Amino acid sequence: MAIEVLIFYLLAGVAIAAAAGVVLARNPVHSAVSLVLSFVNVAAIYVMLRAEFLAVAQIIVYTGAIIVLVLFVLMLVQQQDLPEFHGGRPLRRAVGFLLGLALLAEVAAAILTRSLRGAPGSWPPEAVAAVGGNIQAIGRELYSAYMLPIQATALLLLAATVGALFLARPELIEERLAVARRLFTISLAHPRGVDPLRPVAELPAPHDSELKPAGGDRALVMARSAEEFTEQPAWGEIRR
Amino acid sequence: MTELTTAHFLFLSAALFIIGMVGVLTRRNVLIIFMCVELMLNAVNVSFIGFAWEQNALTGQIFALFVIAVAAAEAVIGLGIVMALSRRLDTVDIDEVRQLRE
Amino acid sequence: MEWIADWLFVIPLAPLVAAVANFLLGRWWIRDRAHWIAVPAVGVSFLASVPAFLTVARQHEPLSQHLYTWIPAGDFRVPVVLSVDQLTAVMLLVVTGVSFLVHLYSVGYMHGDPGYHRFFAYLPLFVFSMVMLVLASNFLVLFVFWEAVGLCSYLLIGFWFRRRSAADAAKKAFIVNRIGDFGFGIGVLLIFVTLGTLDYAEVFERVGTLGAGTVTAIALLLFTGAIGKSAQVPLFVWLPDAMEGPTPVSALIHAATMVTAGIFMVARTHPIFVASPTAMLVVAIVGAVTAFIAATIAVTQYDIKRVVAYSTVSQLGYMAIALGAGAWIAAIFHLFTHAFFKALLFLGSGSVMHGLHDELDMRRMGGLKRSMPLTYWTFLIGAAANAGILPLAGFWSKDEIIVGAWVAGYPVVALIALAAAFFTSLYMFRAVFMTFHGEERFDRAHLHPHDPPWTMSVPLVVLAVGAAVAGFAGVPPEQGWFHRLLEPVFEGSAHHEVSLATTLAFGAVSTVIALAGLYLAAAAYVLGTVSPAAVAERLGPLYRLAYNKWYFDDVYQRLIVEPARGFATFLWRQIDVGVIDAAVNGAARLVVWTSQLWRRAQTGLVANYVLAIALGTVIIVGAYLVAGSNLFR
Repeated sequence: MAIEVLIFYLLAGVAIAAAAGVVLARNPVHSAVSLVLSFVNVAAIYVMLRAEFLAVAQIIVYTGAIIVLVLFVLMLVQQQDLPEFHGGRPLRRAVGFLLGLALLAEVAAAILTRSLRGAPGSWPPEAVAAVGGNIQAIGRELYSAYMLPIQATALLLLAATVGALFLARPELIEERLAVARRLFTISLAHPRGVDPLRPVAELPAPHDSELKPAGGDRALVMARSAEEFTEQPAWGEIRR
Repeated sequence: MTELTTAHFLFLSAALFIIGMVGVLTRRNVLIIFMCVELMLNAVNVSFIGFAWEQNALTGQIFALFVIAVAAAEAVIGLGIVMALSRRLDTVDIDEVRQLRE
Repeated sequence: MEWIADWLFVIPLAPLVAAVANFLLGRWWIRDRAHWIAVPAVGVSFLASVPAFLTVARQHEPLSQHLYTWIPAGDFRVPVVLSVDQLTAVMLLVVTGVSFLVHLYSVGYMHGDPGYHRFFAYLPLFVFSMVMLVLASNFLVLFVFWEAVGLCSYLLIGFWFRRRSAADAAKKAFIVNRIGDFGFGIGVLLIFVTLGTLDYAEVFERVGTLGAGTVTAIALLLFTGAIGKSAQVPLFVWLPDAMEGPTPVSALIHAATMVTAGIFMVARTHPIFVASPTAMLVVAIVGAVTAFIAATIAVTQYDIKRVVAYSTVSQLGYMAIALGAGAWIAAIFHLFTHAFFKALLFLGSGSVMHGLHDELDMRRMGGLKRSMPLTYWTFLIGAAANAGILPLAGFWSKDEIIVGAWVAGYPVVALIALAAAFFTSLYMFRAVFMTFHGEERFDRAHLHPHDPPWTMSVPLVVLAVGAAVAGFAGVPPEQGWFHRLLEPVFEGSAHHEVSLATTLAFGAVSTVIALAGLYLAAAAYVLGTVSPAAVAERLGPLYRLAYNKWYFDDVYQRLIVEPARGFATFLWRQIDVGVIDAAVNGAARLVVWTSQLWRRAQTGLVANYVLAIALGTVIIVGAYLVAGSNLFR
């Protein structure tokens, strides 16, 4: 058995195991770290496949950028919001695994019975070496035959940037209010009576004792006005 | 199997893809689902590059590059949606998000 | 003056520019200044027509200017060529000249109308269409502008479209014309199918190669178009209703543009008619019937514009008689003189209406001679010319038509035409006497009739002079200047020699007949020796027949309109609502029902959607495996 086959098995094994870790880990941070491991191993396999540029791009883009983003988001999203893995959906889990197995079987059959071979390309290793390496070869190809797609990609990234800005814009009071109305029943009366002279900021956050069940599982919140209620910083925690 | 063949890479690709798919199907945390989608995209890249290696062509590699670019865009939007979800609906559990219902 | 050949395009372009300018800018910017564009534009058109006329009057060859090739399809080419021969030149002068006067008249008549700019957009468009119709050198261009003239008449008749009767009259004119145009269109198609060309010269050259039946069919189909456009029996019903439009429009339609199109078209395509004696006979008979029926109707009407309108129908009948008799030049001559006196009569009745605040009923007029002297004298000249009183325009042309019909071997037609001439004289002078003589039957406390302002009176005077002297263009009969002018156009057709004795005899007879009509009118409405009511009583059913317009409208209503409406209602209720709508609604209901069924699948849970996608993937990949790989073979 050639040494490179061994190396392949090693890398592939770690990549698959790490990928399984992504799916199985209970803590999302563990999943993310597992994903990094998987990506790095796949990048190494790219190197074996004479795709050095992509290997580097993979590490920079995925592990360098995307995973960091994921971790940031994880940090921003409050931990108690994260649902448990074993949240009890056994039927769905069984169906998921069965579907996965079925697809694996199908793809395996397809790979093993594969009879189609594409026409040989125009970039054998010697040709790639002749132009100075993988990066140069990709550059030549990319900026000649793929000019239009690369422009389209630029537009796509721009659109994604704008979209992200839109999604991450500060919340409007109306939106916050809508959320609050969905979660609580808001009574527009302060428990201590109406006192228009006191500034809103001085009003204390509603306490648990101020929450009363109001039909079903919805909490009742007393506030002078709906806007005032949503300005209270603690309303996110009250729900639990 | 003393030589590396395309089948090796295809199997690796299939395995990664299906693991990702199972993750998407079974997990409830939007962030983990998002990571599984990235895993699936990556698996497809493995196939692309494997074929490129087999055919001595660069087309596969270039397509993999485009996939990475699209994945980056998707990551930005996807994470933006996760943030918005967490802020507006106060959850990242997809079973609690039923906004797509008519 | 050969240079005019390169400037022919100015003739249609000027009114088109005016029309487009008033269409685009009239509402916001031009408004009450609309006539500043339209009147000079038509004037330019007229001034450009004059040198064209003078040029072709001197030389034998027609002028032509190739504008562009409209349809270049293999061997079949339709060029837009403006061509002017003597016939076209006469028509150009008539159309642009009368139109110019009508435009001028409209400045005063339409003053203050809210649709002023719109009026001065439609009117030049009408002139443009008619000029292009006259200038066309092939049947397709002719057909296009034939339809354009119909469209413009629709727009102008329905100009006051808020009035229901005007909107109805416009629709009636358009639909009745459609019937004729349908035949005309089929005729043009038949020409194309049998001869493979639509160019006038080529068609006329090859018309001899066709069979007699085909030529007759083509000629009759083309004449169907003329029946609609030139208001012959049985499609004349639209023309009297067209009075709903503003009076200048009536003048334009009756004298210059619309109705002359049919006569012109038949004269233009005379080689086709000459090749088919049957068609000629039909044309003559239709003309005679039209002339007689319309004249009898006109005698019984009280609406001054309707009298003039039926008079137009009757005169068009005369022109058709001339066409049928092969007296082409006489037909065009009558068209020429008729343009003067009919425009004059309409503008004159417009003046009367102007002075009496839109009063139309002659029973509430009378005695206007004193308060509107100019209108009276000009109207009298027009009426006398129409009636065929000796030195005036109508006498010469009408007499020539009757003689033409006689020598062409249609004595019955000639006699009918003479009978119609009696009625013509009767109704014309009846109108004059009822309107201008006798006691004043209008409300004198509130109405103070007066002669119109100069923009309206100048056209009256010009047209009156024309109506008085235009006839001398054709004197002496058959050899006049007018005849020598048009001879090159019609040189191929058979020419009947008319002896001097025949001419003089018919002249004398028709003069006597006209004077008899004049005397009867005077006896009934001025002298009072004959009571019109008693005559009507004595004639009984005949009077009612004429008074009710020979029941044409009623018969159409009963036989065509009502069955058609019934059928349309059936289609609407049963087919449209019952079948088509039901099918559409049924499809919609099916969709709703299936959607209700499927909306249960729309849980809003992303996990379920993902599951469906994965399931679909597995199934599709499986299907590909079964179909595509050799695994299961």
